[in-house]
Amino acid sequence: MAGLSIRDARKNFGETEVLKGVSIDVADGEFTVIVGPSGCGKSTLLRAVAGLEELTSGRISIGDRDVTDLPPSERGIAMVFQSYALYPHLTVRENMAFGLKIAKASKTEIDDAVRRAAAILHIEPLLDRKPAALSGGQRQRVAIGRAIVRQPQIFLFDEPLSNLDADLRVRMRYEFASLHRQLGTTTLYVTHDQVEAMTLADRIIVLRDGIIEQVGSPRALYESPANIFVAQFLGTPRMNILAAVVADDGSAQLIDGGCVALPPLAAPLAPGTPVSVGIRPEDIEIGAAAGALPFTITFVERLGGLATVHLQAADGGDPIACQRRDDGSLREGEKVVALLPPDQLHLFDAIGRAIPREARK
Amino acid sequence: MSLRRWSVTLLAAFVALLTTAPLLWMVSVSFMAPGEAAQFPPPLLPADPTMANYHTLFGSFGIGRFLANSLLVSTLATILALIFTIPAGYAFAKLRFRGRDATFRLLVAALVVPGQIGMLPLFLELKAMGLVNSYAGALVPWLAGIFGIFLVRQYCLSIPDEMLEAARIDGASEGQILRRIVLPILTPIIVTLALFVFLGSWNDFMWPLIVLADQNLYTLPVALAAMSREHVQDNELMMAGAVVTTLPVLILFLALQRFYLSGLLTGSVKG
Ligand SMILES: Nc1ncnc2c1ncn2[C@@H]1O[C@H](COP(=O)(O)OP(=O)(O)OP(=O)(O)O)[C@@H](O)[C@H]1O
Ligand SMILES: [Mg+2]
Repeated sequence: MAGLSIRDARKNFGETEVLKGVSIDVADGEFTVIVGPSGCGKSTLLRAVAGLEELTSGRISIGDRDVTDLPPSERGIAMVFQSYALYPHLTVRENMAFGLKIAKASKTEIDDAVRRAAAILHIEPLLDRKPAALSGGQRQRVAIGRAIVRQPQIFLFDEPLSNLDADLRVRMRYEFASLHRQLGTTTLYVTHDQVEAMTLADRIIVLRDGIIEQVGSPRALYESPANIFVAQFLGTPRMNILAAVVADDGSAQLIDGGCVALPPLAAPLAPGTPVSVGIRPEDIEIGAAAGALPFTITFVERLGGLATVHLQAADGGDPIACQRRDDGSLREGEKVVALLPPDQLHLFDAIGRAIPREARK
Repeated sequence: MSLRRWSVTLLAAFVALLTTAPLLWMVSVSFMAPGEAAQFPPPLLPADPTMANYHTLFGSFGIGRFLANSLLVSTLATILALIFTIPAGYAFAKLRFRGRDATFRLLVAALVVPGQIGMLPLFLELKAMGLVNSYAGALVPWLAGIFGIFLVRQYCLSIPDEMLEAARIDGASEGQILRRIVLPILTPIIVTLALFVFLGSWNDFMWPLIVLADQNLYTLPVALAAMSREHVQDNELMMAGAVVTTLPVLILFLALQRFYLSGLLTGSVKG
């Protein structure tokens, strides 16, 4: 097994630059998830690691080997595609054995490898079927099986769950996690689904427009997003962002009315500085408290256990979302007060970068 | 069955009868005595079925030799056409190389030029190469048909790139990918193409007539034409010759039916 290192990867398709200098280090055995909106270059990056796409510039190494100029089969990777890409005319067994057969492995060696992979994925009964006779989830397993048989140093997954229905996706997500625990293989996993990223990753890389926005553990990214993009990308419903100006007393005057106290900052902000105040929906507390602001409830989405309450500030502006346990008490049109606790506020400057807080003791 | 289903079935049967009637009569006439088919009204069935026409054909006329010639030319044409057309169509669909799309557009544009226009230049070319009056000369036009390349390309376009990439990651060379992944998937289109080329070269008259001067090299259609010049009145003999010409391809066509009617691509990707 081995780690992966990408140095300043750039990729142009004609005039358009899709990767604009991406550097990534994945430690041996780590499960790293690349997440980002559609078209940000995730697949391109993964395909470059696989050797299916040539970089315009930059280096890629796996373990201590520079693989930039090696063909896909010599890089020690295995890839699972979104469409599974099984060979339709071969049985499940032959699909999984294809690579070893090409490599002229002995029959017993192939049988062993296929049997082991099939056992891990519980697909032994399917070995003699053709892909056409499998369900979506089973095809997915076979595709993973084909990757396992290769015994790669690195697994590459490109949105492997996005063709499955919601139920199966949750189950397969769990299986990915346990598979990684069992095999311990270094994994690079691409998705645009932030829930997959949060639940699976040791480390998340947020990519936007070919640039890395932030790298860190799911917890770190959730708690201290480096900018508004990351802050809003992770978490549902997404973080509320309120435009504000720093007031003379060091609190923030919201553009839509009201004033919120700010957490202690690393460096004080000059009065009049425009800022964005971010707060996660689950951090808003509805109910009387010192410093609470008046709101009108415009809409309540009841999700069963939880409810998302949309609150409109007295002076208008976009409603903000608040998530809480649903006790059935709140009604649309009702007037309430809600507190934005200073401790839970995220502060961003005019171009969306996080303003650092005072270091915690 | 409902009335609707019945009427559709009846209509289909009627159309089928209409199209096969001439063929059936051809077979029937081939067993008639000389002059019998020229009566009015023409009889549907021979009064006294006879194999005499076939005896003449295979005996004094020596159609066996021409049959063998035709089989040889058509089989070679088919094999060679597949060897050249399939990789070309695949490359135009799936491999990246400079000038690929421009070349392909040029080829497709050339499709609108009728084949007859190219015959004279082609003949002169072959003459310069010394291939006139040989099977090699007869085969040349079949080697790489544009239509075949087009057919294979269109079908290859439906093969997902990711499948070929998966094979590349599995370590397969481009040749292995073509042989072990693409060819099996292409089976229906290969059979169809083979059939087209076989039928085309089997029924081709103009080109072998132009390029083959030696009687011993004649293919069936050319030989039959030569025969009809001598035996204009001999309808029954001509029909026997026509039966010998059509029967092999008809059998081939029916035998391969199940291949070109099936698709193999199901189940590779999501769905
Ligand atoms: N072969 C190509 N030629 C030209 N442009 C391409 C090519 N492949 C990708 N692109 C462009 O590069 C950009 C990034 O594509 P990429 O597939 O990496 O996005 P992605 O992050 O994987 O998106 P998604 O979540 O939709 O899969 C897109 O704008 C896409 O149009
Ligand atoms: Mg993608």
